[in-house]
Amino acid sequence: MKALGFAWRSLVRQPARAALGILGVAAVGALLFDMLLLSEGLVTSMRDLLDRTGYDIRVTATEALPGRGPRVTGASGTADALGALPQVRSAIAIRLADARLEGDGGVPLQVGFQGVAGGPGRPWTVLRGRDVQRPGEVVINEGIAGQRGLGPGDRMIFRPACDAESDAPPAVTLEIAGVAEFPFEAVNEGIAAGMLETIDTACGTGGRDEADLILVASTGDTDAAAAAAAALRPDLHAVTNSEVIERFSESGFTYFRQISAVLSAVTITFALLLITVLLTVSVNQRLGEIAALRALGLSQRRVVANVFCESALIVGAGGLLSLPLGILLAVWLDRILKSMPGLPAEMHFFVFQADALVLQVALLATTAVLAALYPMRIVARLPIAETLRNEVVS
Amino acid sequence: MPSVLSIVLLALAVTAPSTQDGEAPPILVTRQLAASEGLEQGQIIRLAPDSRGEGGRPFRIAGVYEPVPDPARLGTLPREVRLHLPDLLALTRSPDVPAGTEYVEAINIALVDPAEARNFARDLNARMPGVSARPAAEAAGSGATFQVLRRFHLAIALVTIIASTVFLLALTIMLVDERRETVGLLRLIGLPVRRILVQIFLEGLLIATAGGLIGLLLASASESLINAFFQWRYDTALVFVRITPYVAAACLAVAVPLGTIATVTASWVLLRRNALRLARR
Repeated sequence: MKALGFAWRSLVRQPARAALGILGVAAVGALLFDMLLLSEGLVTSMRDLLDRTGYDIRVTATEALPGRGPRVTGASGTADALGALPQVRSAIAIRLADARLEGDGGVPLQVGFQGVAGGPGRPWTVLRGRDVQRPGEVVINEGIAGQRGLGPGDRMIFRPACDAESDAPPAVTLEIAGVAEFPFEAVNEGIAAGMLETIDTACGTGGRDEADLILVASTGDTDAAAAAAAALRPDLHAVTNSEVIERFSESGFTYFRQISAVLSAVTITFALLLITVLLTVSVNQRLGEIAALRALGLSQRRVVANVFCESALIVGAGGLLSLPLGILLAVWLDRILKSMPGLPAEMHFFVFQADALVLQVALLATTAVLAALYPMRIVARLPIAETLRNEVVS
Repeated sequence: MPSVLSIVLLALAVTAPSTQDGEAPPILVTRQLAASEGLEQGQIIRLAPDSRGEGGRPFRIAGVYEPVPDPARLGTLPREVRLHLPDLLALTRSPDVPAGTEYVEAINIALVDPAEARNFARDLNARMPGVSARPAAEAAGSGATFQVLRRFHLAIALVTIIASTVFLLALTIMLVDERRETVGLLRLIGLPVRRILVQIFLEGLLIATAGGLIGLLLASASESLINAFFQWRYDTALVFVRITPYVAAACLAVAVPLGTIATVTASWVLLRRNALRLARR
């Protein structure tokens, strides 16, 4: 009988012990798998989200986040000039504002308001109705449509909050052209969008032609397009998606990467210690049996391989079980974390990555080897005659 | 040496002029900004409202301060200065804006009765349509973020407890199995099952309590290490781990019953067997 088969029979002989060992490894492995997914999940999800918008360069007035710093002046002209660059496929200017959607005697709804100039293309996807075609029309997201029961063809009353420096503008009535999906919309967040003229008119800042950011889609060479944009307006900051991700990796949510590193280390140490203890106690209980097997002619190498195979079987079976458990756990943990306010609905903390799976397998395999070292040493150095004698005497 | 900095400007609201004629107005800079730019107290620097340095004015660094730790800005270097509001308005005012017509982003109001915050905000919104007043508790949306983080950590703790319980059961089954003969002999000399079970229960209780206390000692020892690491990593005064009496009590409340129950459960399975079978080799 081969070592693996022998180890299998040793485990099956004590099913409760083996099952608990495997379940323990599965639980620890699931947590480890999730921590590995968490370490890069947010960045991967952010990259995916940015790429899905179709724009690979963001142009702003300063390094500040859009809406938190000064605006880009001459926005429409700049967007048109950027769009005319040979390295650029399209460029759109976006102005952001907050607004209050007045209800029929109900509580006003706080929503985000976007005004867009340039093109072609829009940073949203129309789901129902049609896209905006003229000033005074807007598309709304499902957040507004669902909470207010509005749809294409309806009208709504907006009270924008545009600039701290200007007086609060009067409410305006806008026509809903369609319902759209916005890539960065948060759960239950209300967003409305229209042309830049619409927001300018609503804010009473017509003619100022300002935008919080300009989105640029390159024809393929992102770096060349970013360099061309920077050359066109040296006073502006052109940042590629990769640079946004890099900045995000350094600052945004690094806490989760740190916590995943700490928990991964603790989890794997925990698993290592416990499997070592399980195997050691198991081997110590079977010293007489192992000595008898050696006396019958089984080689030292063979009994050592048997212990190693037991470790491999426990960790292997537990590791396999840990994957579906880990996925279920990740869904649960992701749901908890996604209840953070202001987080885009399409962003996830736990994203499957092949690298994480490879690392999980490597870590568990290392654990299986390390956990088996001490019990293998006990078996390898077992004095056969003395052990058998002790067994008989006791 | 004067330098131009691209910074986030925060203003302290004061009504009195901040400086005498001809003297550079005083400012405070964050410790992190001072360290990154090599700034010192007494140094004259130039602050400008835009990154090109246009319209810059000289300011004197009156001191370096530790910013209030803000969990929502973890990982970002607080490149901030604090200056008197009149100085900030003078620095950022556009040439076409007459003095005295500038704006501020927000006004913080401390009420005599904080419980009236919601009513006060409602009254203010009704009387002044151009402003938006909110109770501070509602404005501090980041509070919800930390409630979510708390739930996340509790979920992780729950999974850890489940994994620990499984391993604990496996270990106790093995340890109890090792004492099979002893238990068999005790049964044979007349000790009732209940008596042996009480002994095992007390033994489990002692071991679980000792284990729980050692765990707390380990956690206390690692508390300062974890805080030191994260405070170094993020250059912040935030406290990341704090073992409060409530946390310690909660840990013991989970660990001790869990350890005891695992021991008794594993032993009960053994004690149900025939005494002769237990004692037989």
